[in-house]
Amino acid sequence: MSVPVLELQGLTKSYAKLTALSDVNLSIRQGEIFALLGPNGAGKTTLIGAICGLVKKTSGRILLFGKDLDEDPVGPRYEVGLVPQEINFDPFFTVAESLHIQLGYYGRPRDEARVDEVLTALNLQGKKDSLTRALSGGMKRRLLIAKALVHRPRLVFLDEPTAGVDVELRRDLWSYVRKLASEGTTIVLTTHYLEEAEELADRVGVINEGRLLLVEDKASVMRRFGERRLIVTFEQPPPALPEPAQRFNATLSEDRRTLTYVEREGTPPSGELLRELYAQGLPISDVETRRSRLEDVLIEILRGRPQKAA
Amino acid sequence: MNTLGMKTLFAKEVRRFMRVPGQTVLSPLISTTLYFIVFGYSISSRVKEVGGVPYLSFIVPGLIFLGIANNAFLNSSSSLFITKIQGTLVDLLVAPLGPGELLAGFIGGAMVRGLVVGVLTWAVAALFTGFNLQHAGVTAFFLLLSSYVFSLLGLLAAMWAEKFEQINFFPTFVMMPLTFLGGVFYSVRELPSPWSQISLFNPMVYMVEGLRYGMLGQSSFSPALGGGILLGLALVATGLALVALRAGYKLKS
Repeated sequence: MSVPVLELQGLTKSYAKLTALSDVNLSIRQGEIFALLGPNGAGKTTLIGAICGLVKKTSGRILLFGKDLDEDPVGPRYEVGLVPQEINFDPFFTVAESLHIQLGYYGRPRDEARVDEVLTALNLQGKKDSLTRALSGGMKRRLLIAKALVHRPRLVFLDEPTAGVDVELRRDLWSYVRKLASEGTTIVLTTHYLEEAEELADRVGVINEGRLLLVEDKASVMRRFGERRLIVTFEQPPPALPEPAQRFNATLSEDRRTLTYVEREGTPPSGELLRELYAQGLPISDVETRRSRLEDVLIEILRGRPQKAA
Repeated sequence: MNTLGMKTLFAKEVRRFMRVPGQTVLSPLISTTLYFIVFGYSISSRVKEVGGVPYLSFIVPGLIFLGIANNAFLNSSSSLFITKIQGTLVDLLVAPLGPGELLAGFIGGAMVRGLVVGVLTWAVAALFTGFNLQHAGVTAFFLLLSSYVFSLLGLLAAMWAEKFEQINFFPTFVMMPLTFLGGVFYSVRELPSPWSQISLFNPMVYMVEGLRYGMLGQSSFSPALGGGILLGLALVATGLALVALRAGYKLKS
């Protein structure tokens, strides 16, 4: 098995009155998109900061590309890129200069072609020679992303990359992230937009109060924690809860016009109930199904529904 | 060793101050030139010579030292402090730049600014006094080492400071009094007691006198004294800065 791109072993960060990270163990595979989810103050940014050299860990080990950062704190960072949560820019330089400087920091010579490529990918080509302070908020965020990618890192951290950007850019960015991952770049992202994690991630991790509560394939999380609601509306309210509905533990609304069935892992599929209702010739006027979103799943997990070990 | 990373940071530091030359080079040049004209002409009408050297020539080394020390300090302190405040420090901390590379990049840039101001001050002064250079090696030693030491002190101050007020503390309350009382405009040997004795505790005195020896060929103290103090400071400050950078003192949470 290939060496994990990133491995955390018992990573802990304590401040005077707060444990920001508590015994975090995590292994990230080459080429995957991993979404780290959790409420504000859960430890997401601290976790990324500890890996990227912004936060001093209290204990534990961090291995980047198989190398222990305690033994070599600098070497593995040639292959890492970070899009920080807070927008920052150096007002003295143009967009292109900022990217050339970034290339230099990573030990790479000036590369006009690469700078043009990244600027085009992030729709910043027209602003190449503008001073960074003249950019709009959304453009500054694109520049942050360009800076994190220009040196072709193998592992990219995106800490709330689309906070405060418009829908169009968010979609553009998602397709770019997918493209990077398909080319073998490993992506670790934190986000408040669960839609983002749902759209992009192969695996998700849920963190709260510094503890990693769960690490699992997104599809499996959705299957285990997700629900499908079948909502059936009747033309005429039936006199009582129809028999198959009782067997399925479905519920009838007070006015007896709407029947709701919650399908979870291990319960019979909604289609089966629907077939039986039709077979009984009940006057059905509308059928609707609602799948829970990752957001609902996250709330379930944070509320403490049973979890599988990470 | 990330040589290219270090060179990039150095070049960025130089370009940063060259983007605003009016503020970073011209402004200090004008103030030191004004010192030269005002102090020089007003006092030289009464004090013709100090230790056998015309008064105008006497104050030139001190003014050059003042320009170097202030500008080297201001460059590294403001650059690192602004980097901390505006958040671009993240770029440096994430990048594969070790303490040595960070130190060399910041210090190199600050030294260039200090030396540019110092050399330009010298050139302006030469228009009034003629060009004096008695011991080129000693002069070069003091120019380079004082710019190095004050760049380092600026870097340490910026690491320590968390507020703008704190970053202004050193130039206003430490460097300005010490340099002005450091024998730039007078010889501390000629001060009345006890000021003459008190002045001996001011390390700037020996640095100014060392440069004076290099340029004018005479001084009140052996240049070895000033050189020794600068070397000692350079060693201590380098060690401190490397340890602080490695530990991420006030840079990492």
